[in-house]
Amino acid sequence: MSLKHDIEFTLNGVRRHATVDVTMNALDMLREVIGLTGTKYGCGEGECGACTIQVDGVSLNSCLMFAVDCHGRSVTTIEGLTNDGKGDALRDAFVEHGAVQCGFCTPGMMMQADHLLHKHEHPDEGCVKRGLEGNLCRCTGYKKIVDAVVACGSRDTVTPAHAGVQK
Amino acid sequence: MSELKHYFAPTSLDQAVECLKDGDVTILAGGTDLTPQSQAGRIKFKHTLMNIRHIPQLSGITLEGKEIRIGALATITEIMEHPLVKEHLPVLVEACDHFASDQIRNAGTIGGNICNASPAGDTLIPLLVLDACVELASMPESKIYRHCMPLSTFFVGPGKTRKSLCELVTGVRIPIPGPNHVAHFYKHGTRPALDISTISIGIAGTRKDGALSNMRVAFGAVAPTPVRAAQTEQALEGRTLDEAVIEQVAAIARDEVQPIDDVRATAWYRKEMIHNITKRILGHVAQA
Amino acid sequence: MNVAEKKHRVIEPDSLIGKRIPKMDAPEKASGRTRYIHDINLSGQLHGKILRSGRIHALIKSIDTSAAKALPGVHVVITAADIPDQRPIGVAKDHFPLKVGRVRSQRDEIAAVAAESEEIAEAALKLIKVEYEDLPVIGNPEDAIKPGAALIHPEPHGADGTHLHLKQGMSIAHKGKPDNIAMRFDYAHGDVVQGEAESDVVIEDTFKLHYVTHCCMGVSGMIAEFDASGNVLMYSNTQVPFLHKREFAEYLNIDPARIRIIQPPIGGGFGSKLDIYPFEVICLYLARAAKRPVKMVFTREEEFLASPTRQPVLLTLRSGCKKDGTLTFRQVHTLHDNGAYTSWGATTPFVMMQTFSSLYRVPHCDYHTAAVYTNNPYAGSFRGYGNLQATFAIEQHMDMLAEAIGMDPLEFRMKNAQDAGEVTGQGMSFKSCGFKDCIKTAASRSDFSHKFGENQANQKKPGNIKRGIGMASMLHVGGGAKIYPSDGCGTILKMDDFANVTLITGASEIGQGSETVLSQLVCEELGLPISAITVVNNDTAITPWDVGVHASRTTFIAGNSAIGAAKKAKAKILAVAAKKFECAESDLDLRGGFVIRGDSGEVVIELSKLLRNLHFQDKAELVMTTFYYEPPSVHQDKGFKGDVSAAYAWGTQVVEIEVDTDTGFVKLLKVTGAHDVGRVLNRLGIEGQIEGGIVMGQGYAFTEDLIMQDGVMKNPNFRDYKLVTAPEIPEMDIAFIESMDGEGPQGAKGVGEAPAICMAAAAANAIANATGVRMFELPFTPEKVYRALRGQTPKLYWKPWRAE
Repeated sequence: MSLKHDIEFTLNGVRRHATVDVTMNALDMLREVIGLTGTKYGCGEGECGACTIQVDGVSLNSCLMFAVDCHGRSVTTIEGLTNDGKGDALRDAFVEHGAVQCGFCTPGMMMQADHLLHKHEHPDEGCVKRGLEGNLCRCTGYKKIVDAVVACGSRDTVTPAHAGVQK
Repeated sequence: MSELKHYFAPTSLDQAVECLKDGDVTILAGGTDLTPQSQAGRIKFKHTLMNIRHIPQLSGITLEGKEIRIGALATITEIMEHPLVKEHLPVLVEACDHFASDQIRNAGTIGGNICNASPAGDTLIPLLVLDACVELASMPESKIYRHCMPLSTFFVGPGKTRKSLCELVTGVRIPIPGPNHVAHFYKHGTRPALDISTISIGIAGTRKDGALSNMRVAFGAVAPTPVRAAQTEQALEGRTLDEAVIEQVAAIARDEVQPIDDVRATAWYRKEMIHNITKRILGHVAQA
Repeated sequence: MNVAEKKHRVIEPDSLIGKRIPKMDAPEKASGRTRYIHDINLSGQLHGKILRSGRIHALIKSIDTSAAKALPGVHVVITAADIPDQRPIGVAKDHFPLKVGRVRSQRDEIAAVAAESEEIAEAALKLIKVEYEDLPVIGNPEDAIKPGAALIHPEPHGADGTHLHLKQGMSIAHKGKPDNIAMRFDYAHGDVVQGEAESDVVIEDTFKLHYVTHCCMGVSGMIAEFDASGNVLMYSNTQVPFLHKREFAEYLNIDPARIRIIQPPIGGGFGSKLDIYPFEVICLYLARAAKRPVKMVFTREEEFLASPTRQPVLLTLRSGCKKDGTLTFRQVHTLHDNGAYTSWGATTPFVMMQTFSSLYRVPHCDYHTAAVYTNNPYAGSFRGYGNLQATFAIEQHMDMLAEAIGMDPLEFRMKNAQDAGEVTGQGMSFKSCGFKDCIKTAASRSDFSHKFGENQANQKKPGNIKRGIGMASMLHVGGGAKIYPSDGCGTILKMDDFANVTLITGASEIGQGSETVLSQLVCEELGLPISAITVVNNDTAITPWDVGVHASRTTFIAGNSAIGAAKKAKAKILAVAAKKFECAESDLDLRGGFVIRGDSGEVVIELSKLLRNLHFQDKAELVMTTFYYEPPSVHQDKGFKGDVSAAYAWGTQVVEIEVDTDTGFVKLLKVTGAHDVGRVLNRLGIEGQIEGGIVMGQGYAFTEDLIMQDGVMKNPNFRDYKLVTAPEIPEMDIAFIESMDGEGPQGAKGVGEAPAICMAAAAANAIANATGVRMFELPFTPEKVYRALRGQTPKLYWKPWRAE
């Protein structure tokens, strides 16, 4: 029987408990124990960034983190990012700039981009490219993703959400 | 299925070294190496999984006398952004900047890096040329015992170090470089980061009135561990760099290393790059 | 109704055509709400896992599954022995999903488990004991055709060693082959002997194209469920749901009507999901045996090990020209590593032929190829489908021939590029053709001629950094490809009481934006905003037939199909309005959600009001229309000649690089592209396709290399298989040539594959321009470039081989 452990942590702003296998990684906990499937499995080895989440204000690969290590910490996933105004501005930028094709890399890209924008208020193209070097995309060729992040970073204020498509 | 029977998250160093006494412990720090290795079955868990992230003595980057002390839990990002490191150890910042990805830098720890002992370990090369020492702690009897070991003697094989199963790496200490110190790091791969280097080179020493002394040269990815290049260091000691000297030293460097062929590169190419890049770096040193 | 009359309207101020329209599913995807196949869970589902071969080439002596079956949580363990009526799959029917008697490659499937959890299924795999007897490994196609080579699919013998005489018409999986040749193609137009006699310059070189793989960010997966009546529901990321419906029915020996395929949003396709793979059939077998839904998802390592690759090719090209620059002939021989089993990679010659025969005007051409069995992975279809490989050779020879006769490479290309109206030696009719415009535009925007000369002059000068510029063009089908009995697509369109449209199309969305382009075309026709449309495209129980997403056909064929249905709806609406308002139909139009007078723009009635009037009257009617569009292309004849597509598309790319000759590292600085797309429909979408294709081509040229050694894959992971990352991308300048194809929807042609096709060729030409050294093998990694610059790479020559 595998060893289990109870943890308590904040997920997307809400305090909660979870019981996890001690050997489980945070990605599997999010997807299978908690049921939030927005964070994706891309490789399980930290080489693709599809599983990027934020923990205590920094981005990291959830496939490289033990679930038990979430105890006492504050975790944000894509579902939490796009619940607040700042996340909406980033999502709108991704949509408007055509940064989404198959969309599989998008949650990880956005979590990393959001972290990047918190560290660098107005990053230029070079800074964004380096900042996203740990996130693989096979569809877009990255250009429109970089454009979206640069555009989002050059907005002076956070605008309210404008979900939906242009006419 | 697994041997793992006990999970423990100590909140003091004493608790941690006491737990380590029987040596049947797998240590969890940042998790960036342990998670994928254990999930893939390459590392099997021992009886206890010990999460060391809550031990206060393992964190922080501080000035202690003439040394900078970096706690084992310092992440690569924390290291490269810390004012003390930026001011005194820019070659370490350079290596950190080419390390993996932002996500991995945010979680990976220097203690984990050192214990993982990868032959291509990016942070290990500057630490070697900066004469770093590893801090170790254990509890051989009833009291905690702490000592330091030079990093240059710490690695014994790929993934293998002199740390015993009862010991914990608590930090790394780096003497603050003196005046006229020069240091360079170069990582050769196909990308700015997220790449296991084909070869990496660190060169440091003192350059006064053109003459080099106290030279330290380290190479990565050309041996089973990151290595100091004794012959290359000797060839530089006391010399003043000119084109002929640089070419001579680069040839010695190429001959000194015995790399292998693997999926990333052949031994021949690695030797060529050691030669060409050593030459390039020494050219920068000469112009500085 | 026949193919509707095509009018090319001048773009009006409120037209959607050419605008930047965000992808309709982007907001959901960017919120993490989209549920891909990995995110879908059915109640009561079990998890399926496959035991893959521990050997490369071996007889299976025994399989013991008893310990696995006894593990708590395991429901079913199956091997080929449990499925005696197992049918072979794949293009050549040489491939049993669960292997029978022998394994032929690292990915071979020996057994499968369905269990309560993934962990239990993995643990069960470890308990299965297999005994093998090793056979000699054939790790490359040249070894496979040597006399005395071990046979990969030998004919079966009886226990006493005598040859079993099996029935005529049995598949290769049952009856084997007397040799290792999987497929042969021979093509000719004109007479190459004559062509060579007319040449002033003849050159011959061998090119070697390597293994790369799709690396979709979403790994492969499937969920299969049998209901109480034996009907099958599959959640599958197939790109060809209707073809698969028919094929799976055959493998399960049931009526195709009992199979329903639902396509969840896909995490990338690029051609990887055009064939049926063993894991899919095995998942069905598990679901059938367990009587529970079974979900099977690959790990990333499994994705590398078990997915189809791009077709590796050994290619010898002999080309000639006259001293005035006219191309005379091309003679091509290729050897394809077919791997252990046949998938779509073996049919890449169909596409390669088109490039050899028709990229630039060539009066004489012949092409011979064989696909040969080995113990390597099999290749499938992958964006460009053989064209990258063919173009790599052709466009290098264009530079080399120009150099041999002392002609400027740009002038040489312009002399031989075709114009609209030409029909090629293979029978392809270029009705719209922007080829010369592509070349001129890319050359002028990149300042090609000036830089080319400057870089050449700089080759021998001191300094380790050398700049290079290289050009290559491509030709690909742009209006579908008539390779199946039908190349068509069906559409059902309905409008509700509020003038909202539901577009039910057979065409799948694989991330390329088809649902947005189809919506755009329909809304343009009906004068409605994009927000008024819902697309249904992912359920074979609901949508009409479409042959599938391949050959860059979706915009063209599904687009024309959607327009056909929309035009019928519009005609009905205008007829009703004309009657109601006592005017001629030709006086009216639809714009902005209204019925208007065409000449003045004056509103006659709000469209939704008209629809409600129509619905709630004594003789109630709804607006519901259907349309099936079959493009006016033809099947090729037995000599592969014929106008196989309704339109063709061109693109030219100019690549600028910087080579560090001390390390061999090539930095890709800029790509200038000019693409003949007929007409830009969704400007945002088409840019995204081109940028993505350029970077995929960049990976093929410089960084991606799936390393096989004696049948073993050495780098099945992202650490050592290098996809291009964000900091490595070039500056991109993309221009569109709008040649306005007469048959295309609003004049558009297909573009999905085009941008990946000529990058490697242009890169090779750029390296030659920078350094004076030609590279004939991919990829251009730093070590490979360094070795070539130091003369460490012996020149490859493969002597063309013909089987008797």
